[in-house]
Amino acid sequence: MSLTHEREDSLIKTLKENFPTDIKDATTVRRSRINVTVAPEKIVDVALFLRDKLGYDHPTGVSAVDYNRESRFEIVYHLTSITNPAQRDILINLKESVPRNTPKATSLVKIWPGVENFERESIEMFGLQFEGHPRPEKLFLNDNWDGPPPMRKEVRFPTD
Amino acid sequence: MTTTDKPAQESALGSPSPDEPGAQTLTLSVGPQHSGSGHMRLIVELDGDIILNAEPDPGYVHRGIEKIIELRNIIRSIPVIERPSIIDASNLNHAWVKAIEELQGVEPPARGQYLRCLLNEMNRIMSHLYWLSIYGVFLGHTTMFMWPLGDRELFIDLAESLTGARITYSYLVPGGVRRDLPQGFAEEAIKRTEYFEKRLDEYENIFFKNPLFTSRAKGVGVLSRQRAIELGATGPTLRGSGVDADLRKDEPYAAYGELDFKVHTRPDGDSYSRVMVHVDEMRESSQLIRQILKKMPSGPIRRKAPIVVPRGEAYSRVESARGECSFYMIGEGGDKPYRARFITGSYRNMAAISAVLQGVRLADMPTSWWSIDYWPVEADR
Repeated sequence: MSLTHEREDSLIKTLKENFPTDIKDATTVRRSRINVTVAPEKIVDVALFLRDKLGYDHPTGVSAVDYNRESRFEIVYHLTSITNPAQRDILINLKESVPRNTPKATSLVKIWPGVENFERESIEMFGLQFEGHPRPEKLFLNDNWDGPPPMRKEVRFPTD
Repeated sequence: MTTTDKPAQESALGSPSPDEPGAQTLTLSVGPQHSGSGHMRLIVELDGDIILNAEPDPGYVHRGIEKIIELRNIIRSIPVIERPSIIDASNLNHAWVKAIEELQGVEPPARGQYLRCLLNEMNRIMSHLYWLSIYGVFLGHTTMFMWPLGDRELFIDLAESLTGARITYSYLVPGGVRRDLPQGFAEEAIKRTEYFEKRLDEYENIFFKNPLFTSRAKGVGVLSRQRAIELGATGPTLRGSGVDADLRKDEPYAAYGELDFKVHTRPDGDSYSRVMVHVDEMRESSQLIRQILKKMPSGPIRRKAPIVVPRGEAYSRVESARGECSFYMIGEGGDKPYRARFITGSYRNMAAISAVLQGVRLADMPTSWWSIDYWPVEADR
């Protein structure tokens, strides 16, 4: 296995060339894994570029991470490409950070319809808000759930 | 005329004109008491017997597994990880240990990798057979319920002799697997897979050429290639819509890079295609089991791996029976992950349910929906 990551690095180069200021950070984590961090207000532009120019048409999920010590949530879109068979293995983690006290982000359902359920889960489990989400209702939790968003770090099990 | 100036009485359905489109729709709640396998609900809007819209309502078997695994050490979490899909325990278990190993930089020895693939492929067959038998229930085909469940025992016995458990094995651990092959396993497995392939020929004749099945599956519940991709569908659902995506080929892991096998697809995207992809995959897995046993190298089965999740992040992906199963794991250096995001095939394919059911007749709903192989427990986690 080669230790260089040519395919990954060339993807990053293309991204940085097109978004010189909007992309805060882009790195190859390991073979086939790229992390791209963008400013929340620019995520739609970068997402459209990823889908239309780089062939990232197949979302595999969305994760939210509660960095409570840094007072922020990180929202991570996991993206892969079907149209581009040569980079089927290269998964891009498209990341944005939102402040913990005003966790507002823009929904990317219009770009990748497949992220709808994942964003919905992040809304109920972390208390995030996705502007433009078609159905910001409960997904797994009961409709009458009135407790705190259960995946936040301060929520503990009674036994812990 | 009398004095009344009240409008004409509305019809019993509450609509002034029953001829108006959409005026006579009916909303039906299917489930949550085992509308398929595991508790979930479909909210179906009907016009006559045509489905206008079907919304999945999951969550009835949600266990909060992502929270649980943040609070337990990585070894104690292994049995928990398997629970969402006990019929496909090995593949889910594989995604978990793979994420840990990626962070630790530990590579299991070759024999361990082959043993993992062996159990994975046995699990794929077991899971597909279980799914097929429930499909038989939905068709009202009692034989189709009985035979696959009976033949599943062939592999359950094998798995038990290899791991000590019939369904939830906790066989894969960071660094390798728990046990080596028992004596006589290879001979028995070859005998059983060869017998199973003969059974699949019988299935072909009695189930898949049967008008009872074809009339309710061919051309029904079509999911186009484009729609399947944008909805993020995965596994047999995606391959049934003509996309040759399979992580065992696209990003070969464990021993899959050294194994010879085909990725089966069907171009039509209907229920029939999704079912037949499952059937082709069982045949392929059966062949793979014999190949794995033949090619398996000798040597150790496990390498020492610490009970620690090093600082960093990893995204592991494996091809489970229902599609991609992945963990997005963030480590902090402790014995448990800071965050472990658990994304399963069924969770992703949930988005395809509405797309598949639109325009389908109510009578065809169970078979169309079940062709997606949506496992509610695996989706809820």
